[in-house]
Amino acid sequence: MIRRWVPVAVGAGIVAWVVALALLAVTTRDSQEFGKLQPWILMVNAAGVLVLVALLTGRLVELVRDRRALVPGSRLRSQAVAMLSVLVLAPLLLVFTFSVLFLTRGIDSWFHVEVRQGLSDALGLSRAALDLRMREFTDRTERIAEDLAQQRSMQLFSALDEHRRLAGAEELAVVGPGRIEAYSTASLVDSLPPLPPDEVLMQARRGERYVSLDPVATGGYVIRAAVRMGGASSLQGTRVLMAVYPVPQRLADLAEAVQGAYQQYGRLSYLREPLKVSFVLTLSLVLLMALLAAVYGAFFFSDRLVQPVQDLIGATRAVGKGDFETRVQRASRDEIGYLVTSFNDMTKRLAKARAEADASRQAVENERASLAVILARLSTGVISLQSDLTIRVANHAAGAILGTDLQAAAGEGLPALAEREPLVAQLLAVIRPHVEAGQTEWREQVILRHETGRRELMCACTALPGEGEETAGLVLVFDDITELLHAQREAAWGEVARRLAHEIKNPLTPIQLSAERVRRRLLGGLPDRDADLLERATNTIVQQVESMKQMVNAFSEYARAPTMELDFFDLNALVREAADLYHAQDARVRFALTLAEGGAPIEADRGRIRQVLNNLLTNSLEALEGEPDPVVTVHTARHPGPGAGFVELAVHDNGPGFQREFMGQVFDPYVTSKPKGTGLGLAIVRKIVEEHGGRIEAENEPDGGALVRVWLPADEAARGAPVPRVTRNQEPRREHA
Amino acid sequence: MQATQVLHVGLKRMAALAVGLLLACAAVAQQDRFSIRNAFVEPVGGVWQLNAIVELGLSAAAEEALSEGIPLTLLLEILITKERRFLPDTEVAGLEQRWRLAYDALSGRYVVTNLNSRAQSTYPALAEALDYLSNVRGLPLIDEPLLASGVRHEVSLRASVEIGGLPGAVKLLIFWREWSRSTDWYTWSVRP
Repeated sequence: MIRRWVPVAVGAGIVAWVVALALLAVTTRDSQEFGKLQPWILMVNAAGVLVLVALLTGRLVELVRDRRALVPGSRLRSQAVAMLSVLVLAPLLLVFTFSVLFLTRGIDSWFHVEVRQGLSDALGLSRAALDLRMREFTDRTERIAEDLAQQRSMQLFSALDEHRRLAGAEELAVVGPGRIEAYSTASLVDSLPPLPPDEVLMQARRGERYVSLDPVATGGYVIRAAVRMGGASSLQGTRVLMAVYPVPQRLADLAEAVQGAYQQYGRLSYLREPLKVSFVLTLSLVLLMALLAAVYGAFFFSDRLVQPVQDLIGATRAVGKGDFETRVQRASRDEIGYLVTSFNDMTKRLAKARAEADASRQAVENERASLAVILARLSTGVISLQSDLTIRVANHAAGAILGTDLQAAAGEGLPALAEREPLVAQLLAVIRPHVEAGQTEWREQVILRHETGRRELMCACTALPGEGEETAGLVLVFDDITELLHAQREAAWGEVARRLAHEIKNPLTPIQLSAERVRRRLLGGLPDRDADLLERATNTIVQQVESMKQMVNAFSEYARAPTMELDFFDLNALVREAADLYHAQDARVRFALTLAEGGAPIEADRGRIRQVLNNLLTNSLEALEGEPDPVVTVHTARHPGPGAGFVELAVHDNGPGFQREFMGQVFDPYVTSKPKGTGLGLAIVRKIVEEHGGRIEAENEPDGGALVRVWLPADEAARGAPVPRVTRNQEPRREHA
Repeated sequence: MQATQVLHVGLKRMAALAVGLLLACAAVAQQDRFSIRNAFVEPVGGVWQLNAIVELGLSAAAEEALSEGIPLTLLLEILITKERRFLPDTEVAGLEQRWRLAYDALSGRYVVTNLNSRAQSTYPALAEALDYLSNVRGLPLIDEPLLASGVRHEVSLRASVEIGGLPGAVKLLIFWREWSRSTDWYTWSVRP
């Protein structure tokens, strides 16, 4: 707001200053006028000086602050101000010095001794001329006085008037003792003039002639003369003739001119030093004003000059920071204006180029994002490797398959990662020979073994095209075909089971019946030794057939179509029932139950889940035969997830655990380490769990014993959702059976 | 002589002049009496008239200025106020009377001009002119009926003398107080 009025104030000040200077120039020719106006001129200049000092102080403070803050253009502005100020200062000081010099010398030259002497001489000459006249008029007055002295009183008035006209006098008066006795004047008056001063009358009465030159109020001079008329015995009674003569016009004019010049010169001479001080002071103020105005003008012009440069610097910085929309206002049509236009064109082109680059980058990003989404959604693991086997990028599926976060390991070498990830190490063992052999295109089935089983991968590798002959790296693509192979095996085993059930089960009953019939028919008629043999042989047949029936039933169970009857029940209750049942069968085994607090509700086929529990507990109890302190731990827990989440069931025993050679195949049919096992128990468990949409894992605990963990969806909503990983540091509630 | 030297000499002269003038003025203030010796008013012919004697001691500087043709101006300020009970005094009349004293070099006479009436008189010597100016006789102030009878009035008189013809800036810049001297107010009471 204040800055907006600054130019107006400065403009008004400059106008006042110019007016003051004009008045100074005009009035210096007339000292009277100069005397009247000089205070105003000085005041205008002093006020202007104060205003300019205030403005300049503000600008200087602003400039110093900008310099300290390293504001762009402040250095250039200060240099411009300094340069312009110096350019103005030098000629101004020169002009001031010479003005003062000429002024003081000029004023001194007015008052040369010769001038004063000449004026004094002129005044003396005038006085001499007037003295001559005065003597003539005095002589003339004496002659009139002599003549009048002889006149009678009655004739005195007419004689007085006659003499006045003849002598060319203005006034003639006969002054008696204390009064004017007769008076004649050329003017029309209605009263007598005042009596002359006593000393004049006394001088005349003593016989001494009195004559004086008197200035007149209306201008000019008169010659006043007084002489004695005689005719009285005493001095007081002596009459005096007073005469007033006009000074001849020509002489009066000349004398007055000389007198005026003399007095004017005297006055100026007397005021010479104060006048010089006054002039020098005025000049100094004007100089100061001009200097300050020039410095302020330097600020103004430096602003005009530097502002476009400053704008360009600011805009360049903005462009440097990436703001290509910055434009500089073109304020002039000079080279700076051309520069501004060029700069604006450049930023326009830069903005356009950046927009194109942004669009390209955005397209690439979009492609990349799409690819990332595709890769993330792929169940196939994809790892992009650099030539030195450094992981460039990997999708989520690759990490899930290899059991580690490969996305977090981007930038890390595969060998380094293999040191802490066993699955990666096994994969690397497959990759490395191909890389070392320079094979970039290969395909291989890989089996990865881990504690909970094994994974079979179909792995393919291809090279990424690079510049020239070089390859930019490798892309490793692998599918986890474990489930696929398992499904294939399941299908094959199902077919086998169905055929076995069909082909074997049917002849078993006739075999059993035939054996029993043979025993009934022949047992009584045979001797004891043969009867005993028959008895043992038929029993063996019946038992083996029964055993085969059980095996066929098991096959049948394994191969039957999944028809489930789902209902909600508490898994904990089922666990307690099963534990109680098995504890009753074998009191030697201790059951430790750590069940989920608040129950473990689950929507499942109660009968099949009971079968799962029975198979798992049977498996554990068989593994614990011969153990001195057999303990079976059953654990349930709830895991949040879609719907009601998942329910975990874990059965752990302190037996010898799974044999390492069977790890990864424990759920396969006919894979068992027990002499009497069919190898179908865990296979059926897995089948039931998978039919429920759950997952099962088997592993050996580090402190010994086998652990089978089952995750079952708690309801329909959770079925099909990914099964959560369990954390082992959960502390569930423990129960003992 | 170099320009800077000339400027330097000029400035020194100016400083010396200023100091000299100040000293001269101080001397004038101490030596020359400039005061109102006595004053009274009296009714004459139905008009209150002022009679006063002013001591007009001129300084040497003033006499020198006078002889160089610079006129002096004598100012008499008269103020008549009526006293009032419980209220501020009220001004009844106020008038200023000015005379100019100048030296006429050609005739060698001192010219006294009443600037109010333009009446002029000349004197062959400064002492006579000053004597004339010092004695104020029968200066009409106010008609007698305009002063309330029986009420106390205060008459104040002050005289000032000023050397005329100086540029205003000179007075302004070098604090030329002694070019214009004034007496204190001389106040007395009358009861018509």
